[in-house]
Amino acid sequence: MSRTVLDRLDRLPRRGLTVLALQGIATLVPGGWSNPTNAEALIAEVLGDDDPALVRQVRARADLLSGARHEGYGRALSLYDAVNRSQRASGGLRLLANVTAGLPLLQRIGNITPPSDKLQAADLSLKVGAELLAFTQVNGLPGDSFGDFTAALADYAGDARVRMAALICFDGLLPLGNQALERLDGLLGQVSSGELRQLPAYGRLSGLLPGRGDQAHLGFLRRGVESWAGWAGGFIGQLGLTGQRAVQALEGRLGPWQGRMEGLAAFLDAFTDTYAHTGVQAVARRLVERAAAEI
Amino acid sequence: MNRALRWGLAALLATGLLVGAVVLAPFSSWLPGGTVADLPLAQVVNGSAFNRLFPAPELGQQLVFTQEKRGFSEARLKQAGEALALLAISDTRTAPDARAKFEGSRERLQGWPLLEQGAQASALLVADRFQVKVIGQGQGLAADQRHALLEGFDLPGLAALAPARERAASPGGASEAFSPESALQEAA
Repeated sequence: MSRTVLDRLDRLPRRGLTVLALQGIATLVPGGWSNPTNAEALIAEVLGDDDPALVRQVRARADLLSGARHEGYGRALSLYDAVNRSQRASGGLRLLANVTAGLPLLQRIGNITPPSDKLQAADLSLKVGAELLAFTQVNGLPGDSFGDFTAALADYAGDARVRMAALICFDGLLPLGNQALERLDGLLGQVSSGELRQLPAYGRLSGLLPGRGDQAHLGFLRRGVESWAGWAGGFIGQLGLTGQRAVQALEGRLGPWQGRMEGLAAFLDAFTDTYAHTGVQAVARRLVERAAAEI
Repeated sequence: MNRALRWGLAALLATGLLVGAVVLAPFSSWLPGGTVADLPLAQVVNGSAFNRLFPAPELGQQLVFTQEKRGFSEARLKQAGEALALLAISDTRTAPDARAKFEGSRERLQGWPLLEQGAQASALLVADRFQVKVIGQGQGLAADQRHALLEGFDLPGLAALAPARERAASPGGASEAFSPESALQEAA
């Protein structure tokens, strides 16, 4: 928490598995993705001017804003970090289960991991829930009406189209198949509060979710996913996203993949930070837009 | 553990908390967090008060609100899905430097000091307190287009948001010029 949002942006990787995976998915999204990892360049783009004195002023203001607890920019990043850590852990567990399934002595490890579909659905719902919470942390509740709010939400998602495409592909279509959105609500209905508590991300998010108790949180997550799925369904239809196309797009960057789609999803979960990576970029952009308007 | 001991422990704990709270209370302003400039929230105008003051979009354009916080509200002006400009109102209470920069400005727009910041940003200081800003995005906007957008804001309405005593105390003659109007709005 000691690093500011823009410091985090400057430290994001410019190459590596995370970037390759995102570049692969970006081939499916019109407009592509430029991987902004330079705070000064981002400020100059928003400001429409690269005068060093102005850029320095904006940066100082942005650092001040991201340090203030009430402003929520730092809190949004800790939400993304929590989800990311949990994703790595569960991805690693699923990979381990895949590997050890062939070894008689180690098959027990496969048995202790929950059925991967349900776990995956719960994981996706936590990511969507974290996204909604982070949105309100970063942007507040923009506008005066519900219509204004949904327009703001759609605008934010449109800003981060590659981020959303990555979320849909890596956490929906690859592990759950092309009918992911239709299956999601049913799968979430099967998740018990005990299973929810097993997810590391839930432990970190539960204090921030509205409502008291696991059942209320589960209700919030299901409603959140329901409203998100409406938007995501349109997005999938518009871009023609499928698991197969996602695999092809990823193969173009990462090299050929022989295994099953679930295996690829577990591999990506365990070894990439796409969610936190694009999260930092989305928060940084909004922060810079505010700082530029306030100096 | 017997009953008396339990009650004794509870009483000790309660007095400990009370003493701790009393000792720490004077230092509350030193504790980290709060708003940006560590001002009490009540001294900063909430962003929701700014929303209705934004200009109405022209035909074919959309105004999408993007951020709303204490002392800040921002919207994007879009045309056919492309962002034309960022429009924002902020309370300079949390950013004294932002207010100070207008001291050197000679230009005026509807009586308020106007300033250009770089190639794409125009800023206006209303009632010596609220900064209205238009930043051209994408292809960019010409200076007079930005000024037209600034004039589209409900500037008298914004000036009326500053508390009356502050307006009376402010040295600028411009803010007094609006007092009949703002008095009307306060009465309404």
